[in-house]
Amino acid sequence: MAQKQSLVISSADQLLEGRTRRDFLKVLGVGGMLVLLPSVITACSNDNTMTGPKPGSGNTLTIDFVNGDIAVLQFAYALEQLEADYYTRVVAAFGSSNLSSAEQALLGDVKNHEVIHREFLKAALGASNGFTITATYPGVSFNSRTSVLATAAAFEDLGVAAYNGAAQYLSNATYLTLAGKIVSVEARHASAIHDLISPKSDAFAPQAFDDAFSPPKVATMAQSYIVDKLAFANAPGTFVQGPNNNG
Amino acid sequence: MDQKTLYDTIDPEIITRVSARHDEISNGASTNSKLAAALALGSIPVALAALSKDVYGQAPSDVLDVLQFALLLEHLESEFYSRGVAASGLIDAADATVFQTISAHETAHVTALEALIMGKSATPNPKPTFDFTAHGAVSGFNFSAGQYDTFKTLAQAFEDTGVRAYKGQAPRLINDKAVLTAALTIHSIEARHASEVRRLRGLKGWITGASRDDLPAFTQGIYDGEDNVNQGGVDVSGLALTGSNGGTAAATQAFDEPLTKDQVTAIVSPFIASA
Repeated sequence: MAQKQSLVISSADQLLEGRTRRDFLKVLGVGGMLVLLPSVITACSNDNTMTGPKPGSGNTLTIDFVNGDIAVLQFAYALEQLEADYYTRVVAAFGSSNLSSAEQALLGDVKNHEVIHREFLKAALGASNGFTITATYPGVSFNSRTSVLATAAAFEDLGVAAYNGAAQYLSNATYLTLAGKIVSVEARHASAIHDLISPKSDAFAPQAFDDAFSPPKVATMAQSYIVDKLAFANAPGTFVQGPNNNG
Repeated sequence: MDQKTLYDTIDPEIITRVSARHDEISNGASTNSKLAAALALGSIPVALAALSKDVYGQAPSDVLDVLQFALLLEHLESEFYSRGVAASGLIDAADATVFQTISAHETAHVTALEALIMGKSATPNPKPTFDFTAHGAVSGFNFSAGQYDTFKTLAQAFEDTGVRAYKGQAPRLINDKAVLTAALTIHSIEARHASEVRRLRGLKGWITGASRDDLPAFTQGIYDGEDNVNQGGVDVSGLALTGSNGGTAAATQAFDEPLTKDQVTAIVSPFIASA
């Protein structure tokens, strides 16, 4: 007898996908359960988030690790494009958001840093910088303090884990140092934003060692916010785990 | 000798490195004589036996030196916070969770570094005796009630130093991916701590220019060089969009700068009691 299944919907766009509909019918056919994560409910209350292109529905963006250190920098460039775009939209929505003036000042600083990170990597990559990602934010309400801060915290944590995990693929010490210069600022952001959400708790640093995620894991997580289909060619076959052993 | 079997037991990265090293040697790079002889015979598997202290791993002694150096810094922080959270009436009740969290992390870092050192068949250096008055520069500080502002000042100094110290040592770990990754996952935690402590003190979580803000003059070495805007040959203060995104101040905030081992040693030496 078929096992009962559950179908987890984490983004509103999934409801529009043919595969989801088929899964839905399959689940119902065996008496399974449909789970709507809170992000879907939030999304359904905001028409704007329903009309954007679906994550991963665009052209394929392939980062080729045959290029070695350059591929790592290109991956960082893609992530910094996402962060810079996100905070630019956050700042643009300040007029209609319920963020306090102190929170707006802090997020304005973060926006500046992320734009500068993006522009730095663009300049450093030179001829290898010829791609622009298109971001999408299913479930994010830019008018909502809660939504903006939660998404920001997720991006900063992901950025920290991404740099920590990708550093092992750098063979050039100058690039390694540059990645180190950026990752600690991302960690400062993560700490501050978590502290806005949950002041003076342990949320600013919930574990003794940060995560280090492999590029494929990071790409899977970031894909939820990127229209282009992220792909790797010649990806490294091995990944050295960090202390949390979850990359 | 079955070369295929031997190859299969070896991390492919080592093979790559030996091959790259072979090219370097062909181009005149120096190496140890056993390795050179083995490579001259064109036998990569034979060469592998000779390279453990040469090609792969910067030289294990370099990695060990970084680990022992990091251990000293973590001992300093661990003892500082352990005494802080244990002291009666020192830390504001509202901030207790923050400092208990940091204290637990620094102790975990000590344990992890000791394990990494022992994993290299070496013995962790013992914890020195610390002097948290910095030979009198922090006059009278002894974790007493009423000294919370001074406690937070030192916490900021130690955390901002820790971030720069780990960053400066990372290149010495570039060939030991396990230690590098472990060190980086500590490095970013120190940055989280630094941001939190700075914000508790009413500052931004990030460093602007080379400013020590309201910290005492003896801490200036912790911030010197943070005003750098030349990142890998790119002047980030002069990028087209920097002007409309916070200008030079933001350009310095956006990048934390490394310190050399000597610079860090000069900063922390006053906190080590004279023998």
